[in-house]
Amino acid sequence: MSSLRELQAGFRAAILGDDGAGVAAAVVDDDIGASARLAIYRHHVFASLTAALEATYPVVTRLVDRRFFGWAADRYVRARPPAGPCLAEYGGDFPAFLAQFPACAHLPWLADVARLEWAMNVALHAPDAATLEPIALQALEPRALARLTLRFEPSLTLIHSAWPIDAIWRANQPASDGVVDLGAGAARLEVRRLGDDVVFRTLPSGAFAFRAALAGGRSLEDAVERALDAEPGFDLAREIRALLEERVLAA
Amino acid sequence: MAGGAHRGTGIACPKDAMHPSGCGIGLRAPHVAEILDRRPPIGWLEVHAENYMGGGPAARALERLRADYPLSIHGVGLSLGSADGIDGRHLERLAALVERLQPALVSEHLSWSVAGGAYLNHLLPLPYTDEALDVLCANITRAQERLGRRLLVENPSGYLRFRDTSIPEPQFLNALARRTGCGLLCDVNNVYVTCSNLGGDAAAWIDALDAGSVAEIHLAGHAVNDADGRTILIDDHGSPVAEPVWGLFGHALRRFGATPTLIEWDTDVPALDVLLTEAATATRRLVKAGDVVAA
Repeated sequence: MSSLRELQAGFRAAILGDDGAGVAAAVVDDDIGASARLAIYRHHVFASLTAALEATYPVVTRLVDRRFFGWAADRYVRARPPAGPCLAEYGGDFPAFLAQFPACAHLPWLADVARLEWAMNVALHAPDAATLEPIALQALEPRALARLTLRFEPSLTLIHSAWPIDAIWRANQPASDGVVDLGAGAARLEVRRLGDDVVFRTLPSGAFAFRAALAGGRSLEDAVERALDAEPGFDLAREIRALLEERVLAA
Repeated sequence: MAGGAHRGTGIACPKDAMHPSGCGIGLRAPHVAEILDRRPPIGWLEVHAENYMGGGPAARALERLRADYPLSIHGVGLSLGSADGIDGRHLERLAALVERLQPALVSEHLSWSVAGGAYLNHLLPLPYTDEALDVLCANITRAQERLGRRLLVENPSGYLRFRDTSIPEPQFLNALARRTGCGLLCDVNNVYVTCSNLGGDAAAWIDALDAGSVAEIHLAGHAVNDADGRTILIDDHGSPVAEPVWGLFGHALRRFGATPTLIEWDTDVPALDVLLTEAATATRRLVKAGDVVAA
């Protein structure tokens, strides 16, 4: 008699791998065979997780078509099953998986589109957080200000792609025709939740470099240096005002 | 419609006005805006815990709805049957949610989904053995201690039986209730599906359950499929409650008395009014059962 732990390990192998023999021996085999009964469970696990991934990645699903997506999802689920039961949190490394997936090698922008969709999913479910009051920065000495590190509110993600992933995303909304100019160049996007809506917008290269540096934990001084490298005309005063007015900084 | 009609009939006699009574519905995303807008009479609402562990519009909408409707939190991810024990981080998140929303009921399942750190998104079956009973009791006790309240434990729908099983499912549930003090959530559709798939008399299954422990009933539709050329029922929550399940519900009410009942619908979610019509059907039967009990 196997212990419950062994039985569950065997069941896991039967669901995620191809090794159903061990657990099948523990299952009553009658007019419906043990393997057919186990297949009911396996089918539900894969169908429900594929549906969860489709819900998070609707544009990727449309770009590769549902059958291909289902196959990619099947490979992904086997390699990276969820670590927890909140399905909105499942699939964060699906973009990295797609980037390495040989069958998608001819779609070099696909993984970046997936990164955009993941950022939108994160924004939708991010906790509501208090944002920094403008007054908080006014009290600081210039020297302290330069060394300051700032955090963004938790719904915000910055994404840089060599591909026009914003245009690809828009062209693949339900009512759109899917036509897009892949030569349109790089995208520097800020994704966040505003009220109940998830939005993204393009940032100028200086502002993007500045915010990306801050998001990476660099000091204000370092971030300014990077912004000026990216865009010599970067206007720091205006950008600080924008950060506070847009309420993107966490309190 | 649902709700309203059952008030004043003495069903469940809640001390707290926001305690579930009569028939509720499982809250699903496509209906949230309409319920907020129309505020239809619904006995109570039940939500899946794991859908509300983040923030955002869904969590905010639920904050508003819980002011007007009694609330039940139904977990699907605690994996009470895991031999590895339950995931402490997930239990903490559930405890935070329960603390925040203060639901009238909290329920989970007689099943497992986690092995070796992987979450297999399904209510997976257990062998009903003394060993499994000990595992379940330890996990339920830990959860109840952390949550500071009684859990209701639901019977799953079964598609297989383990050779090692030595305790019938209703007796296994009774033993959990006796040893941990947990309540029972009797999913009548699951009883019907399990008895059909594994062989067994559904009415006798209901008769074997300890009526005093049953604090909630679930109803849902199932699909009729085929496996190895034989009929197999799949608990897909994708259609109206089947006629024989309504019959079994009547039997359950005669045995358990008028018990808060939930209509669940998860696949091909229909218009809200379809759910409310199902809830109204259940409410009529609850009222009848309440009258019988009152008499």
